[in-house]
Amino acid sequence: MINFLFLVTLLIYLAAGIFQTLSLAIGNRSEASLIRPAIERLAFWCTIIGFAFLTLFIALWWLQQGHFPMTHWTDSTAFFAWAITLIYLIIVRLTHLRTLGSFVMPVAFIAILISYSFATHTAALPEPLQNYWLLAHTTLIFLAYAAFIAAFGFGLMYLIAERKIRKKTDTLLDNLLPSLGVSDELGYRCTILGVILLTMGVIVGSLWTQYIRDVPWRWLDAKVISTFMTWFIYVVQIGLRQFCGWHGRRAAYAAIIGFVAVLCTYVGVDLFLDSMHTYR
Amino acid sequence: MNQIVSIGTSHHVAPIEFREKLAFSEAQLTESLQHLRESFQIHEAVILSTCNRVELYAVVNSVRTADAAAKMLVEFLSHYHRIGVGSLKKWTYLHHNLETIQHLFRVTASLDSMVVGESQILGQVKTAYDTSREASGGGAILNRLFTKAFSVGKRIRSETTIAAGAVSISYAAVELAKKIFNTLEGKTVAILGAGEMSELTAKHLVSNGVANVIVANRTYERAVKVAEKFNGTPMAYDSDLDFLIDADIVISSTDAPDYLIKRQPLVHIMRKRKHRYMFLIDIAVPRDIEPDVNKIDHAFLYNIDDLEAVVASNLKDRQQEANRAEQIVAEEAKRFYDQLQIFQVNPTIKALHQQFREIADTELQACFYKTTLSDQQEAAVASMTQAIVKKLLHHPMQNLRCAVNDGDADHGQYIQALQELFALDVNDDNSDV
Repeated sequence: MINFLFLVTLLIYLAAGIFQTLSLAIGNRSEASLIRPAIERLAFWCTIIGFAFLTLFIALWWLQQGHFPMTHWTDSTAFFAWAITLIYLIIVRLTHLRTLGSFVMPVAFIAILISYSFATHTAALPEPLQNYWLLAHTTLIFLAYAAFIAAFGFGLMYLIAERKIRKKTDTLLDNLLPSLGVSDELGYRCTILGVILLTMGVIVGSLWTQYIRDVPWRWLDAKVISTFMTWFIYVVQIGLRQFCGWHGRRAAYAAIIGFVAVLCTYVGVDLFLDSMHTYR
Repeated sequence: MNQIVSIGTSHHVAPIEFREKLAFSEAQLTESLQHLRESFQIHEAVILSTCNRVELYAVVNSVRTADAAAKMLVEFLSHYHRIGVGSLKKWTYLHHNLETIQHLFRVTASLDSMVVGESQILGQVKTAYDTSREASGGGAILNRLFTKAFSVGKRIRSETTIAAGAVSISYAAVELAKKIFNTLEGKTVAILGAGEMSELTAKHLVSNGVANVIVANRTYERAVKVAEKFNGTPMAYDSDLDFLIDADIVISSTDAPDYLIKRQPLVHIMRKRKHRYMFLIDIAVPRDIEPDVNKIDHAFLYNIDDLEAVVASNLKDRQQEANRAEQIVAEEAKRFYDQLQIFQVNPTIKALHQQFREIADTELQACFYKTTLSDQQEAAVASMTQAIVKKLLHHPMQNLRCAVNDGDADHGQYIQALQELFALDVNDDNSDV
């Protein structure tokens, strides 16, 4: 039952990703100008329904496990997709920029796909870690990741729009992308949001270590170090923008570098280094 | 049956010398509509007179043939403007019924305009329609036709991108600026060198929210002079480009032989203004701005050719959209024409039904008066009578509607025959519907 629910969620996310990409690909070409808004609407509804299903799945999974599911890749990537979708929906609610979905929804889909491919696996969570600290710590961190991915989406939108203006290839597709100023500003706001959430997540995490008695803890953990590096990349980026006028194209590149750092922290460390945070 | 006819001329078929002869001034409009009513018995007419077209739409009684109706309109124009019938026939087009509907829809949707998708024509048709309504009280058929034309025009504007994209250099510049800045509110535009084009562009920018205008010139005095026009700040040009520190948009149109804005000094300026975006528009020939400026981060340079390419591509898009709009027009015109036929047949059908029903009712009452039937029997007789009336009328009505729907030309004669045979009293102006 729960597996079937997950499969449905996966398919809806696939549809959302495909429709979003399609909507961007056909742009405002005149022969499609009637269809495109319909496709975009379809993609958006898929996103909302997919989000509802995913929330339900995580809730059921939580009940079945008896604790907040955050031990295996299945749990982690599903939650990652959930956070990405949540942040995206909030941004759409505030700005009506559905085009962002063409950049972040494919990431969410891949996360769910990974999650689904591990779907039958579970891993035991040591008793002392089963508490609300885990929930708070991971939620904050994943929302931070999602905000960084939104900033990455805005960075890509900026670069595409800038290229078009610079090359003077004026096609109607431009209407789908916000102006350079808007992409830049929104990307920056997402970055700040991400840094705040990440900082809070790290603080909660380090407070948590004070309460863990029975599980060995070491500060020189690979995940901890790489998280600090990611945090540092974003903080430097904000500083350069504030004091040296690094906005626009440089900020967009920085958002992409930050995205890579997030991926390394999230996936890379687990695959290649030993860490206390490792998902099994 | 009434028919809709139109005669007209436009920039497509006639030169300005002819169009100006045919044009109606505002005062002439009312007068000529009155003339049409009194001398030609045309009670429903609308005259559209703009700089690109003069068109007369009229509803003519079906007694005349289409040719006779057309001849009447030619006669009216020839008489009113004292133009020879020969040149009228040469420079005008005539439309009849469905063609007229289709033509009006095309005009209102600005498919027939010089710049396809322009927005003025809808307002012009509205004014023409309002004027004639005030002058003659309007008429049921043209009221329906024009109301439909406006809704078709709106439908085409919302369902196609026929009106999207700037089709003039100055609007293209504004549109591009909107793709760069998150808002134009509070931005500053700098004009280098005066000229009609740069002033027009600056004006559009100001009406889109740009707050400050800087006018720079090699001589400060001349800058002061131009600045007065915009309530702007005059500044002297210097090759270090210091006057550009606060400028977000730069329009250059001097007749200087060399580049006035070069890459190297601008790089310094960009650093001083903390790399805020700068949009440079070079409409001078020979150019004022070194092309390499476009390679500076956050500086975007468009020259006159670039802007013209934007306009050309927008025009091409509009043309493509026009094809889709034509389909909508054809489909809507056909539907409207069919509805109009039924609308014109309805009064006759209604009158016939009423006559039959009245006869049946009168006879029933007489019958009930003379006999003593129970309530149940009375009801039975009454419903039988209704059924007879219904069945008697069934085939004639069905055949009539079929003739109308099939576009059968005979249905006008059917109506006429029905009216005469049954002595029906039908209001021909349809004012009761």
